[in-house]
Amino acid sequence: MILKDIKRGDTVLEARGITKRFPGVVANDHIDFGIKAGEIHAILGENGAGKTTLMKILFGLVQPDEGEIYVHGEKVNFRSPLDAIHFGIGMVHQNRKLIPAHTVIENIILGHPKSGNILNLKRTGEEITELCDKYGFNIDLKAKVWQLSEGEKQVVEILKALYRGAKILILDEPTSALAPPETKKLLASIKIMTGDELAIIPFITHKLPIVLTVSERVTVLRRGKVTARLKTADATESNLAKEMVGREVIFRLERVEVGKGKPILQVENLSALNDKRVLALKGVSFSVHEGEIFGIAGVSGNGQQVLAEVLAGLRKAVGGKVLTDGINITHYTSLERWQKGIGYIPSERIDVGSIGDFSLVDNVFMNYYFDDEFSKWGIIDSKKIRKLTKEIISEYAVAAPSSDITAKSLSGGNLQKLILARVLSRKPRLIIANLPTQGLDVGATEFVQNKLMEAKKERAGILLISEDLDEILSLSDRVAPIYEGEFMGILPGEQATRENVGAMMAGLK
Amino acid sequence: MKFGSYKVKLEKKVNLTGWQAAMISILAIIFALVLVSFIFLHAGVNPLVGYKEIFSYGFANAFGLPLTINKSIFILLCTFAFIVPMRAGLWNIGMAGQLYAGALGAFAVAFAFGAKGSQSIDLSPGIVIPLMLVGASLGGAASGAIAGFTKGRFNTNEIVVTMMINFITFWLVAHMIKEGGPFMGSGGEGEGFKLPPSIQAPIINNVPFTILIALGLAGLLYFLFAKTKIGYQIKAYGLCPAAAKYAGISPFKIPLLVFVIGGLIAGLAGYHYFAAVPGVFKITKNYGDFGDLAFYGIICGLISQNNPLAAIPIALLFGGLTNGGRFVQGKLNLGFGIDYALLGVLMITLVAFQFFFRYKIVWKKIEKEKL
Ligand SMILES: Nc1ncnc2c1ncn2[C@@H]1O[C@H](COP(=O)(O)OP(=O)(O)OP(=O)(O)O)[C@@H](O)[C@H]1O
Ligand SMILES: [Mg+2]
Repeated sequence: MILKDIKRGDTVLEARGITKRFPGVVANDHIDFGIKAGEIHAILGENGAGKTTLMKILFGLVQPDEGEIYVHGEKVNFRSPLDAIHFGIGMVHQNRKLIPAHTVIENIILGHPKSGNILNLKRTGEEITELCDKYGFNIDLKAKVWQLSEGEKQVVEILKALYRGAKILILDEPTSALAPPETKKLLASIKIMTGDELAIIPFITHKLPIVLTVSERVTVLRRGKVTARLKTADATESNLAKEMVGREVIFRLERVEVGKGKPILQVENLSALNDKRVLALKGVSFSVHEGEIFGIAGVSGNGQQVLAEVLAGLRKAVGGKVLTDGINITHYTSLERWQKGIGYIPSERIDVGSIGDFSLVDNVFMNYYFDDEFSKWGIIDSKKIRKLTKEIISEYAVAAPSSDITAKSLSGGNLQKLILARVLSRKPRLIIANLPTQGLDVGATEFVQNKLMEAKKERAGILLISEDLDEILSLSDRVAPIYEGEFMGILPGEQATRENVGAMMAGLK
Repeated sequence: MKFGSYKVKLEKKVNLTGWQAAMISILAIIFALVLVSFIFLHAGVNPLVGYKEIFSYGFANAFGLPLTINKSIFILLCTFAFIVPMRAGLWNIGMAGQLYAGALGAFAVAFAFGAKGSQSIDLSPGIVIPLMLVGASLGGAASGAIAGFTKGRFNTNEIVVTMMINFITFWLVAHMIKEGGPFMGSGGEGEGFKLPPSIQAPIINNVPFTILIALGLAGLLYFLFAKTKIGYQIKAYGLCPAAAKYAGISPFKIPLLVFVIGGLIAGLAGYHYFAAVPGVFKITKNYGDFGDLAFYGIICGLISQNNPLAAIPIALLFGGLTNGGRFVQGKLNLGFGIDYALLGVLMITLVAFQFFFRYKIVWKKIEKEKL
């Protein structure tokens, strides 16, 4: 049955007693959950609480061990996402699954049940444009996906689901990779969808303020169990956090002030091309000192990723110089940079920051294999690396039943913690942290920010790249807003305010 | 799929023990034998008789068994030559060219010592044989290095490059052994010169000493991938080049290294067949057949899932079946290559059964519901 005559307020999707066990963890433990037409229903929980697993079950990607799913009162049994799509459910994943070399429209059509019959690209284009107009999406259908920003990719995923007739849309971490203005736009579109009786959106996110502004109801998960079901009107940031973590959480960042030392990193007039071979970094100059956090604020796609990659040795500079401790390292390989004490935390946690099919131990080894301490005559000292992995897992509270599981079976946030911990555990003198807290829950975000502070106290220099203005402002000693590959200025911390940094990020000097 | 009131579903298996994997391979072999019995029947031969002949000649006959072992050593070395680049996600289709280059390298050493001149020349085996092995290794490694270098530097397609090198080396060998070529044999019949007895490889119980090299390499490679830094870097590059690059693993050195190692081992296979197998000791006229045989290394590598120890029994089986198949074909007067038929079917069933490595079939009674 496809959802047709639904009215606002009808329960359209219901899960009863959903249970899913993985070796060593109960990811979902008898979860009851329901959503109504026209409602935004947020699902909240710490990293590894079981949110993604639950959504994958509702979308037919994972089969539950126990429990039942009802769509508009009718019991269903999803064998695959095709069944779920048939019942009007759509999902946008935590890790995007688009094909970069294809255009937006091709990606939307791809795998569509009708795609055999869709010959008329023009008509399809019109239908999609109609959807865009209706929900306020603004996107070039003929653009190739690799040319899009994260936010635009998100929109493509949503359009894809809507075009397949989704009436219940599952968005897994829709905002964690988005810049604030993009987030705002997305939320506005989502609001319009719920106004349209048919669109019903469970919404999963860690960002508590967002939850509070957009959703009607909240379900909180902790270690696979539902710990609270609330109307958002009755929720406050602190009681939600308490339900998630199981204890009182105090949002507090202990800022430390250390005297700024000599420069560790000096960047002079650096420029580089992006993947499209367009000049995306246009001659930036700055320095990072010992005991300093230098924040780069900007909407993604303004060259900060390119800058991070050049500094990490993963991309060639086309002009300018990079010096550490006064030595020109512009042409150093990435290995030489690791050995010189530069630690890079990449923004892409899967496929760059980690190898999904490797065990956690082997993933930790990625940043250690070149240290003589961990091998003798080329033979790996597996005891030592195993011990280090265990320490990292326990210090950073990575939720993993053992260190032999593969990285791909970790939840998104836990993988991020593992990568961060691995890099920070090297105690680099220069840390390049590219979106370090994306996808982390409140507790973990706070923990990581404190870890960066700790590194600062130990006189490391830190280059922090973030789209989260609050994060930049609360952590940084100096802030450089970046726009179209150029710094709009470099502000001392006390002069950096939401207003002026925000304006500079938008291109105003 | 539905059958009456039952439905059948494929479920992905989470874990599989080594034993289960071995069982699946054995079932696939039995299944292939059953299928090929129809071919025997079609040819008017009792399949039981056919198989008895194949297996007894291939694995239990005083003449057949050494031949099987020689072929198996060759296939095993070619398998390793395939596995090492495969661990880095790269396809080595160039075992043929690499083994020819290895054979040329080995014979070049012998040639340099004047071995072509006379059968009675008294060369010191303790010096010349190791040098011939070095020559074979260098030849194979150099051939492999071309593919590895172009991959690492220019990101060329390694399959195309290795295939091209196969052709070039094939003709190079022809040039060297043909009439008037430097390695021409005394008869001038398109064969290479024969090694004098003083530098023919030592034979232990009818089996050339290269078996020790092959088995030693199996252990060594296993260790390389399980325990060493190099093995770790190769695996990381193979699973995810972008992550490997992030970790500082050189996207130039790894392809070069795996192709050098792979080529080197294929070069040893060339030494093995042309300089160590009893009764051969020269680059034979039909050397191209061994280039073809080298391709079994690919299948063997895929079936053993790139595990060098698991490759040993599979290489032995392949060696025995080709050998026994050839024999039966002559003995029973079959008008077709039963060895090719058998191995072809075996490959297909093994690959098909691999499917069951990942999936299991579940029968479920359909409940009273719509889906
Ligand atoms: N395929 C799998 N194999 C083994 N364990 C898994 C698998 N998928 C998830 N898990 C485990 O199930 C638990 C819940 O994971 P899930 O991805 O649902 O968390 P999450 O709430 O989405 O977390 P995050 O906020 O970090 O994305 C985790 O402990 C995770 O390690
Ligand atoms: Mg998740």
